[in-house]
Amino acid sequence: MTGYLVRRTGQMVLTLFLIITFTFFLVQAQPGDYASFYVLNPDLPPEVKDQIRTAFGLDKPAWQQYLIHLKNTFTGNLGVSFGNFPRPVLDVLAERVPRTLVLFLTATAVSFYIGFFLGKAIAWRRGGLFEYATTISGALLFTAFTPAFGLMMIWAFAFKLGWFPVGKFLDPLVWRGADVSANYVFGNMLLSAAAFIGFALLVMLCLKRFGRRVPSVAAFPVVLGGALVIVAAWALSGIGGLALDIVKHMVLPVATLTLISFAGTMLLTRNSMLETIREDYVMAARAKGLPDKQVRDRHAARNAMLPIVTSLVYSLIFAIDGSVIIESVFSWPGTGLTLLQAVRSEDLPLVMGAMLFIGMLSLLAHVIVDVLYVYLDPRIRYQ
Amino acid sequence: MRFSGRLVSCGLLLALSLLMGCTGEEAADGPATSVPGTTPAATSDAESEKVYRIGIAEDLTTTNHWTALGPDGSIWNSYVLGGSKPALYGYSAQRYDWVPSLAADFPTPLEEEVVEGETFWTTEVELLEGVKWSDGSDVTAEDFAFTANTAAGMQLTGNWPSIVDPEFFDHAETDGPYRLKVFFKQKPGLARWQFGLAFMPIFPRSYWEPVVAEARQAGDTTEQQKALYSHVPEGEPSAGGFIFDQWERGAFAEKDENPAYSFRGTEVALYASGAYSATTPGLTEFTAYGEPGGETVLEYVEGPFAASAIYSIYGSQDAAVLALKKGDIDFMLNPLGLSKGLQEQLAGEDGLTTIENASDGLRYLGFNFRKAPMDNRAFRQAVATLIDKEFLVDTVLQGVAIPIYTMVPEGNGAWYNADVPLIGKGLNRQERVDRAVELLKEAGFTWETEPRVSEDGNFIEQQGEGLRMPNGEPVPAMEVLAPSAGYDPLRSTFAIWIERWLSEVGIPLRANLTGFNVIVEKVFDQQDFDMWILGWGLTPFPDYLESFFHSRHSALEGHNPGGYNNPDFDRLADGLLAATDLEAARQQVFEMQAFLAEDLPYVVLFDTPIVETYRSERIEFPYTETWGGLQSVSGMPTLVDFR
Repeated sequence: MTGYLVRRTGQMVLTLFLIITFTFFLVQAQPGDYASFYVLNPDLPPEVKDQIRTAFGLDKPAWQQYLIHLKNTFTGNLGVSFGNFPRPVLDVLAERVPRTLVLFLTATAVSFYIGFFLGKAIAWRRGGLFEYATTISGALLFTAFTPAFGLMMIWAFAFKLGWFPVGKFLDPLVWRGADVSANYVFGNMLLSAAAFIGFALLVMLCLKRFGRRVPSVAAFPVVLGGALVIVAAWALSGIGGLALDIVKHMVLPVATLTLISFAGTMLLTRNSMLETIREDYVMAARAKGLPDKQVRDRHAARNAMLPIVTSLVYSLIFAIDGSVIIESVFSWPGTGLTLLQAVRSEDLPLVMGAMLFIGMLSLLAHVIVDVLYVYLDPRIRYQ
Repeated sequence: MRFSGRLVSCGLLLALSLLMGCTGEEAADGPATSVPGTTPAATSDAESEKVYRIGIAEDLTTTNHWTALGPDGSIWNSYVLGGSKPALYGYSAQRYDWVPSLAADFPTPLEEEVVEGETFWTTEVELLEGVKWSDGSDVTAEDFAFTANTAAGMQLTGNWPSIVDPEFFDHAETDGPYRLKVFFKQKPGLARWQFGLAFMPIFPRSYWEPVVAEARQAGDTTEQQKALYSHVPEGEPSAGGFIFDQWERGAFAEKDENPAYSFRGTEVALYASGAYSATTPGLTEFTAYGEPGGETVLEYVEGPFAASAIYSIYGSQDAAVLALKKGDIDFMLNPLGLSKGLQEQLAGEDGLTTIENASDGLRYLGFNFRKAPMDNRAFRQAVATLIDKEFLVDTVLQGVAIPIYTMVPEGNGAWYNADVPLIGKGLNRQERVDRAVELLKEAGFTWETEPRVSEDGNFIEQQGEGLRMPNGEPVPAMEVLAPSAGYDPLRSTFAIWIERWLSEVGIPLRANLTGFNVIVEKVFDQQDFDMWILGWGLTPFPDYLESFFHSRHSALEGHNPGGYNNPDFDRLADGLLAATDLEAARQQVFEMQAFLAEDLPYVVLFDTPIVETYRSERIEFPYTETWGGLQSVSGMPTLVDFR
């Protein structure tokens, strides 16, 4: 395994180099550059435009810019964003990533849960009205034109019914005078979620180790207790109202993302389950007279999870990438929207920084999935 | 699986608990926050507090005004940050007269002066006494001198050189706290002094002097600039109607009313006679451009009447429009106004009022004078004659645009010359073709087959073929670069119809609809084109005529990429830049317009009115008729009042 990981790391570095190179020249291939925007100011003399090009390093030939960029990247310096001058690229990305993570991790978790639950159910009871209704509605939503669907959701639930806010991630009237920034709250929300998941996993591990002596039902109050501690911590923190405002703004985009994407997981689970339930061990479990639910959940579904977990890991990792469309429609200023604006304005360092970040994470996702395979399926071994 | 289900239930419980709301007394990282428990309560606070809620489509990129006027110059920064810094002079409402703001009166005439062997052009300005920064200190001539000298001394970039032009400005000195003397290296015209440096936002010296001093220790000029641009202002005094208060990146920015605003209660009046008057109780009474009296065309009182202005950032215009309809915002700022679809969405909505103003821009067809036959005036006039703007605008584009003919639009009343010839205006199809053929023939163009219009005059019965230039060579195949429909459907429609009309008379033209950046690169960076269609945003003072058409700007990356070169026009353009008298400059501009109307380096095509909507059931503006719409005055935060 160690040898395999070392080899994969080498491949990752090479792939990353190719990603940087390809992205750099792709962005360079666009007509004009960042300084071109100043061409449109007739009051600026040409020498000032030259000064701007020099200041941004755009006066050098493309290959020189590329080498400088390569050197900076591998020494951890992603440069300064042209459009947010003189803020470092890392600073801009660090500001946007938590917002995207909170929104898309939540949406991914919800849509996977719903998709997995429904997929499992329709595979187990094939041919019924429920299967047809779920599959057709899921497929319809899956193929919906995202910007139009997002706007429709806003129109129906925010404008007509008035249940939710019209986009954005916070209400200025709630946040006026707040002493903390939204990113502070986002950061704490992520920490809380991580703490809760960590605690729940710990409880699960303990349960597995001492499973014979402790009944599994005992885990529920413990996990619930952990959740309540986190809630209490929020309540006492003085920023619970602000977090609540963010959560309220998340409902509509999360619902939209879930409706659009749950069908993918649902159909994947269904197909995987259909293969699994034909296996002999499932028939054996049934023959032993085990309850249907137990056969479905413990024997079939667990073994059908391999492709679903793969898909989940990719989705979680790509959650950081965000979605240009969803972020635009719901006025959610995350990494997707940032990348779009950077490309439009030819903010080369920011584009490169964002792409590098996404590239690194996607490579990491592949390695994580490979490692997970070994744990999920003991038959798999890497040489 | 039972356990996983419970685990998820716990997660949902956690989310639910957050939704139920939890308030506390102490923030985790600092002092207590005063966070309202629920949004409705906050909204009702906003109602009673008179909060002016404005939607914007992009975030700020800085709160540092040096940076906002420098490398981070964006319309969104200017919407939010503008208005907090005083300037010596400004424009009057609606009519765009040049009027004093912080200055007590007009400046002294420019004089040549020799100081220690060096020759300067100098002028003096008396400042108003009693204008205060929000920290209670006086706004003085020292503040102006500090700002201008810093911008010049540190060679600030971005838009700074167009404000403090290093070719003209040398330095500024003070003679007491309220008298200013400005030294120019060469005689500045109106564009450089009255409509340039005199409009410069003035920064509070007391706040910025230590920051600038520290930045100047930072190595070379670039490093010094970077140090200054990096500074994040906190507690910077304002002399405008509002003080910048809070910026939540990506979400909103808020400005609070400045209780020390010195111009609160200023009564401004514009008279039909052309006179202007402004009276600020206890500060100044100023009149210009005639004796006040007779019919008043505009009258208003300066606020602010809002306790604060909140700028909410929306990722798309659609979302902002829904927020406007829902009542979350009172007005949305957009330099392009509302698109046709959004206008229809808002039409007939209760509590909203839609207004339409002429925009401060134009779209044009430009020619490359370096190539034949574009260098031929008769050819350009024939092209202008063939373009039926009224037909396109009324019939094809359903009235979303306004046909225009002059480089200074009619909306810019002070500088518009109504007497220039408007080539092609009011002609029918047959008259257009006949006139174009006549113009080309007179210039020596010939056809193998002449174009012929049908008897009813509705279509071309016989298409022109084999058009030859006066030198006998065939007219080459040409291309007009225009933005694609995705970027601007209006300009692409014009391009397609221009191709059709010109082809009908035998001019081989092809419309190349392409990306905006491609056009900019081909036209301005490479000058590799025949004709192009683009647009310009215009300033009230039309020195852009010099920038666009003086032959000295025809080099690569200059603003005269077509290479228009007319020594008589150049002379007038030079005169405009050198003019120090408004009336003389006006005459120059009138003559320049006359040249352009005949020479046609640009065929001015159309403009789109700027359509804006505001929540009239909640707010009201003292006037809504203004060139460029309410967005051109940043949504009037200091004038808006509440019903």
